[in-house]
Amino acid sequence: MRCEDTSAKLADYLAGTLSDADRQALESHARSCAACREELEGARDMWERLAHLRSAAPDAQAMRSRFDAMMGEAMREPGIASEGSGGAADARTPRFAVAPTHEPPLRSALPAARGRASRWMRRHRAVRPLLQAAAAAILVIVGIQVGRQMSTPAPITRASDVTALRDEVRDLRQMVTLSLMQQQSVTERLKGVSWSSQLDQPGNEVVSALIDTLMHDANVNVRLASIDALKRFAEREVVRSAAVRALDTQESPLVQMALIDFVVETQDREALEALRRLSRDDEANEAVRARASWGINHLEAA
Amino acid sequence: MTVNDEALMQAVREGDLAQLGPLFDRYHLSLFDFLNRMTGNRHTAEDLVQEVFLRILKYRATWRDGARFETWVFRIARNARADYYSGRDSVGPLTEEAMDSPDATPGPEGQLEQEHQSARLQTALMSLREDRRELIVLARYQGLKHEAIAELLGIDVGAVKVRIHRALKELREIFLRISETPPCDVKTPPRSLPTI
Repeated sequence: MRCEDTSAKLADYLAGTLSDADRQALESHARSCAACREELEGARDMWERLAHLRSAAPDAQAMRSRFDAMMGEAMREPGIASEGSGGAADARTPRFAVAPTHEPPLRSALPAARGRASRWMRRHRAVRPLLQAAAAAILVIVGIQVGRQMSTPAPITRASDVTALRDEVRDLRQMVTLSLMQQQSVTERLKGVSWSSQLDQPGNEVVSALIDTLMHDANVNVRLASIDALKRFAEREVVRSAAVRALDTQESPLVQMALIDFVVETQDREALEALRRLSRDDEANEAVRARASWGINHLEAA
Repeated sequence: MTVNDEALMQAVREGDLAQLGPLFDRYHLSLFDFLNRMTGNRHTAEDLVQEVFLRILKYRATWRDGARFETWVFRIARNARADYYSGRDSVGPLTEEAMDSPDATPGPEGQLEQEHQSARLQTALMSLREDRRELIVLARYQGLKHEAIAELLGIDVGAVKVRIHRALKELREIFLRISETPPCDVKTPPRSLPTI
């Protein structure tokens, strides 16, 4: 067997679909060729590690409910659900826009509403021309009004108006960010924390919300993201003292590590006592204690 | 006797929509797993599974006799995902929810190390070029045969095998590189690791 054959046979070897004779030939070759042995062992090591990387379980009940809702709708109106019956459409590449949502009821409610509307329209075929005429008339009236508005010279916009508008937009963005941080979904909360870093001059409410997230959010990733977001406000006393407090209260090793880095980066000598407590804490993870000692050395040397 | 996937799909095409139920039962978990591992986001994966079955229903008339349902449904899943991400960053922030806890439950130190190992591997996987990550996910987690993967991707079987090898090699290189960095730096997948 040649070295070139290793690459072609390796996938089958890992999948267990190689014949006995080929497997023995591959293993025998690997014993005598250091490069191929390394390839084989490296690939096998990754293959094994991958086996232990488990995926999260879905919310099976919610998925089933959404599927049932979709089926219910399709059963009631089978004609609506089918497309491409001419055979010309390529089944291999069905594409249309996806409108994702994480809110199952909304997903299933929209088609239902559309279905009800179309049924109503079918039952009231006679009134359809009237409705169309009315809609056309409304559009004409709206069009005339818009045209009049646009032809009227706009008043000179004052600087204070622009400022007020900018403030309103900023407040709105801030409100959305704060609202996202309160969501149940971890993804949404992460989005909220990440949005906070894009806010221009965020108010104290945002900083307070980030601190609250760091202290109390149930998810480690969200807490870690909040530490990153708070770095922007590290000059504020309230943020620095919160980081020091968190060093005493947070129990996740990953969060503790990130907090140690935070206080070292911000050169916060006020954190020295908390770091000493952590480095002596028998219940803390060994790696965390070592990191805390490293942090103490850095801050003392600074 | 169990009715095979293709016969069920044929029935769906002929108008017996209820036969999509058994297909959902058979495939929704593996589709979820595939999409979750590709997107790194559980909620997005759940949405996309729903989207896949909506597309099956919508395009049922295009199902062709003689096709393999498994390949067809994964092709729809790939397209649904590609459409979802058109114009977006295809790797969002990696959520802790996308991963399950490690298998065993060792002591705190072992647990931390295992957490790190899993986080590094997940980061490495999400840092792989999409086509390579997809090959690994299909071959390792979905248990698709090389022939089915070849059909799905439109390449020959030999190319699939060689590419799986290359993908594993690249994954290993990224994994080892990440393992050299301090654990606290490994939180989210790096967006721009150089392609090897």
